[in-house]
Amino acid sequence: MEVAFENVTKQFGLVSAIKDLSFKVNQGEFVFVIGPSGAGKSTIIRLIMRQSKPTHGVILMDGQDINGPNSEKIELLRRRIGVIFQDYQLITDKTVEENIALALDIIGYPHSQMSSQIDSVLKKVDLVNRRFLFPSQLSGGEMQRTALARALAVNPQLILADEPTGNLDSKNSWKLVKLLQQINRDSNVTIIMTTHNSDIYESLPYRQITLKSGKIG
Amino acid sequence: MNLLHTTWHHLRRSPIQSLTALLVMIIMFFLSSIFFYASQGFSSVLKFYETRPEITIFLKDGLDTATIESIQKELANFAGVREIRFISKEKALKIYQEQNKENPLLTEMVTSSLLPASFEVSVNDPLVLDQISTNFKNKSTQVDEIIFQKEIIASLLKITATVRQWGIIGVSVFALISFLLVFVIIGLKTTSRKDEIKISRLLGASRFYVIRPFVFEGTIYGLLGAFVGTILASILIYLNRAAINGFFQPTLFVSDTLLPLAVLSLLNLSLGVTLGSFAAYFGSRRYIRF
Repeated sequence: MEVAFENVTKQFGLVSAIKDLSFKVNQGEFVFVIGPSGAGKSTIIRLIMRQSKPTHGVILMDGQDINGPNSEKIELLRRRIGVIFQDYQLITDKTVEENIALALDIIGYPHSQMSSQIDSVLKKVDLVNRRFLFPSQLSGGEMQRTALARALAVNPQLILADEPTGNLDSKNSWKLVKLLQQINRDSNVTIIMTTHNSDIYESLPYRQITLKSGKIG
Repeated sequence: MNLLHTTWHHLRRSPIQSLTALLVMIIMFFLSSIFFYASQGFSSVLKFYETRPEITIFLKDGLDTATIESIQKELANFAGVREIRFISKEKALKIYQEQNKENPLLTEMVTSSLLPASFEVSVNDPLVLDQISTNFKNKSTQVDEIIFQKEIIASLLKITATVRQWGIIGVSVFALISFLLVFVIIGLKTTSRKDEIKISRLLGASRFYVIRPFVFEGTIYGLLGAFVGTILASILIYLNRAAINGFFQPTLFVSDTLLPLAVLSLLNLSLGVTLGSFAAYFGSRRYIRF
């Protein structure tokens, strides 16, 4: 999936979270959005997810304005996107398997094939033996890999990772990033990852979009 | 993750709230069923008297045969008269003895001379009863007393109307309370699961998808409440059927057939589904803002 911001501004009252921002992420590209806290990184994720609308400007996904009059329904757009967050956003009273099954159920995945799809993504993220555990029984790294498994299960065209390593130690952070690299390489999935972990983005050969006070710095 | 599984999960997570909603529904449908049976019963009694319009004219003692025949002719001249039966003093005594055969003390002291002769007149149109009554009231030398069912019907009409009126008011108030309670409980449940709803929405769930288990939960409250309430009330009524029917003899207050139960079940189940699902729908919509 191709993502493009054209002169996008997002204001919250008098405060501008991002100002006149333009960039493009190509199909199959892995891009880091970096910058200090408050630079507007999460706002970009929220705008792509249509959790909020831009004050000005246009956001295109595969050439279509996602806020335009002919845009697809929010839920249909979100079903094409896999998303992972710093705080994992797992449902605490559902097991690993049930968290993944929920995402599959939402996209209308056939129930008869759910189990094998869950098997497949759990193998990818190395969590097969954690399948029936609840999030509270997992480590931080395992919870984030569960979130990644949930995102991968729906075969997304785009993965948005909002500070996914923010709560992880160095070892688990690298494990997650390597998984994302592998997915990007094997499945040609577009990945936009926001982070302020310089060890990661400086070590990898991917394009960086640097934000400073809501603008490309 | 099917709908039943999710709904069962919601019910299990807050059993006290679920039980409260269910109990209020059961009470509501129990009361509505009792009112239904009472209303049906009074309607049957009313119908019994309305379809048997009769007037009884008790004659003065000592009337000769010619006078009695002239009264009979006069009665026959009224349009809409179906049947005229003359009950002589002797026949009146036989009827009295038959009615009190289990109590000899009452029959021993009574002779035919104590009982008045009478005419029992059946009509097709209850309005004729008024005309006959008015006509014979003025003949105090021939007629001792006139009894007909105008008062009974008027009383029954009043009772039936009152039962229906208070039934509708009572059931409406309880329906409103049930609606509000399910509305609030589902609202609380929605709020307590807002993180799950928010995550589901981010994963691409439609509003309908996230509301669906709550609406289904409300429907279960309505259905179960209607079912249990109806069954409890029906068991209570049918267990006491003999005593109730005995009190309202000769009419049948509680029917012998299962038709009223079938009608009541259908009405209550429909109302339960509507009430529960609408309350849950509005309760969850009220709190889902994601």
